[in-house]
Amino acid sequence: MIVSEQLVSNLFYGALLGSVYGVATMGLSLIFGVLRIVNVGHGAFIMLGAFTAFWMFTLYSVIPILSIPIALIFGLALGFIIFFSTIKRLIDAPELSTLLATFAIGIFIEEVAKFVWGSDYVGFSWDIGTLYLGPVTVPYTKLLAFLCSAIIAGLLYVWFTKTKLGTAIRAVVEDREGAMVCGINVGRIYSVSFAIGIGLTVLSGVLVTLFVPVGINVYMGPDYTLKAFVIAVLGGLGSPWGAFVAGFLFGLFENGSYTLLGLIPGVEPFALTRFVAFVFLLIILLIKPTGLLGGE
Amino acid sequence: MNIRAYKPLIPMIAVYGVLITIALTVDGMWQPVAYFMFYIALGQAFNIFLGLTGYVDFGYVAFMGLGAYGMGLAIKNFGHLGLIALPIGIFLAVIMSMLLSLAVGAVALRLRGAYFAIATIGVNEGFRYLVEGVRLWGGTEGMILSGFMRKTYGREMTNFFSTFLSDVLVILIAFSAAVVTIAILNKKMGYALLALREDEDAAKVMGINVTKYKIMAFITSAGFAGLIGATAWTLKLTYIFPEDVFNISYTVEAIVIVMLGGAGTLLGPMFGGLIYGIMKYYLSVIFPGIQLLILAPILIAIVVVFPEGLIGYIRKKARDTRLSEYLR
Repeated sequence: MIVSEQLVSNLFYGALLGSVYGVATMGLSLIFGVLRIVNVGHGAFIMLGAFTAFWMFTLYSVIPILSIPIALIFGLALGFIIFFSTIKRLIDAPELSTLLATFAIGIFIEEVAKFVWGSDYVGFSWDIGTLYLGPVTVPYTKLLAFLCSAIIAGLLYVWFTKTKLGTAIRAVVEDREGAMVCGINVGRIYSVSFAIGIGLTVLSGVLVTLFVPVGINVYMGPDYTLKAFVIAVLGGLGSPWGAFVAGFLFGLFENGSYTLLGLIPGVEPFALTRFVAFVFLLIILLIKPTGLLGGE
Repeated sequence: MNIRAYKPLIPMIAVYGVLITIALTVDGMWQPVAYFMFYIALGQAFNIFLGLTGYVDFGYVAFMGLGAYGMGLAIKNFGHLGLIALPIGIFLAVIMSMLLSLAVGAVALRLRGAYFAIATIGVNEGFRYLVEGVRLWGGTEGMILSGFMRKTYGREMTNFFSTFLSDVLVILIAFSAAVVTIAILNKKMGYALLALREDEDAAKVMGINVTKYKIMAFITSAGFAGLIGATAWTLKLTYIFPEDVFNISYTVEAIVIVMLGGAGTLLGPMFGGLIYGIMKYYLSVIFPGIQLLILAPILIAIVVVFPEGLIGYIRKKARDTRLSEYLR
């Protein structure tokens, strides 16, 4: 059975990719949860991470795994700059303003990147061998990406539940005014959460390069923005954990349905998979807007 | 009918007059003015929903795309009947976009804020991938009508369609959208929408049928979007590609125009569209390739320091003066 073997192999691959999707969406969910702002320019930050990994590898031969902390620091700094220059003034503004502002920030980053790096597709290949597991063949780099995603999500979980700042952030997600009354410096939580959200997103761009080695381009972002929206809604907007699990499920779904839809003659499985994903998005938004995995 | 409430149309007609005069008398200005008029029409049509209700529809371009396909299908299937294909195309464009908006509105308008915005992105992208996925209406290859139109209508006529007729139609659409806007503003529906935009729950408690007015504004706005897609895209460009006609950047441009001029005002979209169109056109002439790099910070600055838009700002300054009768 060629099809079932292909399906198993694709599902395995989807699970690995899904964990990276999860990390790539956690930032979006965190920012929405704390600031109630949908970052429409989300993908641009993933692009920045991908370019960080690319340049560190080609210029200084730094392997992508070691680029992760560099991307995180870069993202944190960028997050603080963007927060204090624009987002801070828009916290209580209507959706119209924040959606437009984040979109414009995304375009600005893309255009600066294009100005600096040009609009060609670039890529690099980092080969450390391949694992053979029955029908499944996986390069070690992808397994490593999965491991890193899981560790990052785990660390974040510990940080959110065990530290004072993490608890404060969760309190603000839960109830803004309540947190303020309890003496939490909500303004500081905003800036820290925004910076962490952007930092995580830039970091995830590094992991993405291990899956799309030749697809690095300054306009790669919007595609990831849309995927991140679907995943964030699936996991319950505003819940980073939900986002991680949902990313995992989305990776499975994407690769599984791609394989199955490919069996139908006369259709484009790639586009149809996206179509099914967006139908799911609408259904979930309508019947359970808190997300499949979110609470009430 | 209270004729005095329609006074704000006077400055609008004046601006249209100046633009059309420039287009007809100055050599080589017809196409740039048509380009500006496209953005004015886009803003004016989107304002009916976005400006009046305050809901952000990120999938607005889907209605334009569907309108473009409506016109394309009419030319393809009824082209042999002669020029009658054009009114059929206009009709199809309006009907198709209105039907989609009815379907979307009935379900998605239950959601609010960011959830509504994301749901409408889902509708737009989902529709695009459906067209590509099941190879509907040519799938990714789209519809290329130029050869067919030249064969059916002749080269002269096709050129006339794309360089004159489509532009005139866009101007008419922009103006009719403005007339509809001021008619709504002056009627009960305008006041209901104002209440709904300020506080939806309070409006509901006051006994306003918010769902009805929201859907009415949504469908009207979508119908105009379909018309713009049919004329400014299919008739003018003579081709349709799904990744172009469902491109989210048009939605964003529409939002920018409405915000720039002042959301919910009558004259705002006209000035917004004019300023945006002129900036985009001349920036791409003077700084080819980096116009977006310049535009993006301008946008951020507008959102941060100028959130009520140009007309909103002038109206605030001109309150209780005779000028305010002409501003809406």
